[in-house]
Amino acid sequence: MREMISMIVVLTLLASVSGGLLAAVKSGTELRIEEQVLKFQKAPAIESLFSDVTNDPLKERFTLETGDRTLQIFPGKMKDGSLAVAFETSGKGGYGGDIGLMVGINVDSDQLVGARVTTHAETPGLGSRAKDDLTFVSQFNSKPLDSNLALKADNGSIDAISGATVTSRAVTRAAIQAQELYSQLKPEILKQIQ
Amino acid sequence: MNNTKLTVSHAPFWHDGDNLFQKNLTFMLALLPAAIFGILQFGAPALGVMALSLSCAMLWELIINLVSKKPATIGDLEAAVIGLLFGMMLPAITPWWLIVVGTFVAVFVGKMIFGGIGSSPFNPTLLGMAVLMMSWKMFFDFDTAYVDYEFAFTALAPLAAVKTQGAAAAEMFTLTDLFMGREVGAVGATFGLGLIIGGIYLILRGYARWELSVSFIAGILITAFLFHAASPQNYAGPLFHLLSGYTLLGAFFLITESASSPVNRIPMLLYGFLGGFMIILMRNIGAYADGTILAILLVNVISPLLDNIRPNALGKGLNNA
Amino acid sequence: MAHSLATEFTKGLWAEIPPFRLVLGLCPTLAVTKSVENGIGMGLATTFVLVFSNLLISLLRNVIPPKVRIACYIVIIATFVTIVELVMQAYTYPLFLTLGIFIPLIVVNCIVLGRAEAFASKNTPVLAVADGLGIGIGFTLSLAALGAVREIIGAGTITIWGGNPVFAVGDWYHPFSFMVEAPGAFVALGLMLAGMNLIGKK
Repeated sequence: MREMISMIVVLTLLASVSGGLLAAVKSGTELRIEEQVLKFQKAPAIESLFSDVTNDPLKERFTLETGDRTLQIFPGKMKDGSLAVAFETSGKGGYGGDIGLMVGINVDSDQLVGARVTTHAETPGLGSRAKDDLTFVSQFNSKPLDSNLALKADNGSIDAISGATVTSRAVTRAAIQAQELYSQLKPEILKQIQ
Repeated sequence: MNNTKLTVSHAPFWHDGDNLFQKNLTFMLALLPAAIFGILQFGAPALGVMALSLSCAMLWELIINLVSKKPATIGDLEAAVIGLLFGMMLPAITPWWLIVVGTFVAVFVGKMIFGGIGSSPFNPTLLGMAVLMMSWKMFFDFDTAYVDYEFAFTALAPLAAVKTQGAAAAEMFTLTDLFMGREVGAVGATFGLGLIIGGIYLILRGYARWELSVSFIAGILITAFLFHAASPQNYAGPLFHLLSGYTLLGAFFLITESASSPVNRIPMLLYGFLGGFMIILMRNIGAYADGTILAILLVNVISPLLDNIRPNALGKGLNNA
Repeated sequence: MAHSLATEFTKGLWAEIPPFRLVLGLCPTLAVTKSVENGIGMGLATTFVLVFSNLLISLLRNVIPPKVRIACYIVIIATFVTIVELVMQAYTYPLFLTLGIFIPLIVVNCIVLGRAEAFASKNTPVLAVADGLGIGIGFTLSLAALGAVREIIGAGTITIWGGNPVFAVGDWYHPFSFMVEAPGAFVALGLMLAGMNLIGKK
């Protein structure tokens, strides 16, 4: 009996101490991690999406609250004068967890500017092609916002990466989520960027 | 105390009074028609590639022998066969350093590391080729390799053409052209007739076992036929597959390599068939234009498994005796 | 227990150098050593986890009930691994991206749990730290060496820190990229093991 109790007590104590420690470290590094993610992941995706904008989307970023999540929105002024926004969504159910997708949407024409994968933990050489090989994500370029962004196998309009259907499906989920978020947030986005 | 009588050596065990030297000499003799044709077709560079490859392989083996302080084994000509086969699988304009590195991988990583002759689980030549192709794919593109040559026939690598342009491209090559070697490809792998003659000679001499070659060819023909019958516009016919790429070289000289293939008849038949089957799968569905190298390496891996199909041992009825 | 501090520390550098002598922790060894930089990063992360988990386990060695000791070790190790992961994310983000999944996988690295079970749970904290530090540095050196062999042959460069090569062979070199791919890792490790045994024999 004593042994049982000591087992429970020790393990509980250890787990709670480690939980507390991790919470402290997490909150201590959170800001910096966010900065780093912005610098190394979102920035390249945004630069590649908005290759010919006249402003600095990173500096002009703002946040919007929707439901329980905070969304960072990066506005871009395109060369032809139209306005666009980019924000990151995440697609559930990739091979190695969620896949982050930066989606750019032209506010004036309601077309997608494009999409770039930001974070993933997919198999190198297979699923990782979603990020490294732009032929897959370039299928999103200039798609009208009301088009079906699911995979062709799911009656949508996007070709899956051969050998990486699971990854492709997660990416399309992120894109579809972006569609939904955008239609919810459009009025607020317009208010912010004008 | 002399214990040499109790020493059990590695496979190959089957024996007809010949020694390794004779076996390998016959092997090279059987390769000669195709090799000579390659020299006639692609000129002096082809000779250079084969000669360098052969001598490099022997030199590497000698160096490894010396470094590991073992008796020199190059006298059995095993390394020469590896080198010659290796050279015959390369395009004629292969840079010299590629051959030097490739024969090193073939002889050292493919053969000597595992304990020399008879111990290698993979075909050493193919292991070297596979490693090279992973690293320097651009040197194995037969279309660009022969860009400076003038040929009286379609100067396109048949398998690559079919891969990129679909099965209709197979009509650019008549079967007689492929059979008589009027195609671009590796220096020693284009001349179908020569390879078949050499292969049959080897089988008649008993150095290559017919079960392997026949089931391998059957595997190719049957699988390719099924693909072709299912969708003729997507997949080229069985004879085209048999006569192009490394297929015939594989059927008579690579799949029959004794150390890495099974011993009994049924396993041999299964082994060969699986090899042929995998090649066609790789060509028709996979990413590679010619799957011969990887397909044979793949069946090398399952060879020990196939060797488990065998008669029960006599005696106390132990299953794993 | 007449081991001195010095022997506990130095054994990790040669006599029990992890991937070569103990042949443990091969998963990160094979997977991340595409460059010297990755090897050093992985090695340092593992060293940090080793030292602190060894210290804590050794301190708690009389408190932890034997029946749940493995669970306790894993909780401790996992805590430090997560700390390393967060810190790397915050300060060396590009390295964190290339090492990716192999940072959290330090939790199941046999070396860490092996030292905890075999050494730290039976020795004093000072010795445990020396042991962890020695093994960790040995692991780092091995990974860096393997990374150096693979990178110089497979890519023609040497990258020690920060993503920029400190040494490049030059344009005439056609990288033998087999060596930076997965099968090349096995071949390189096997050859280095053979080399170690050859030297050790004499």
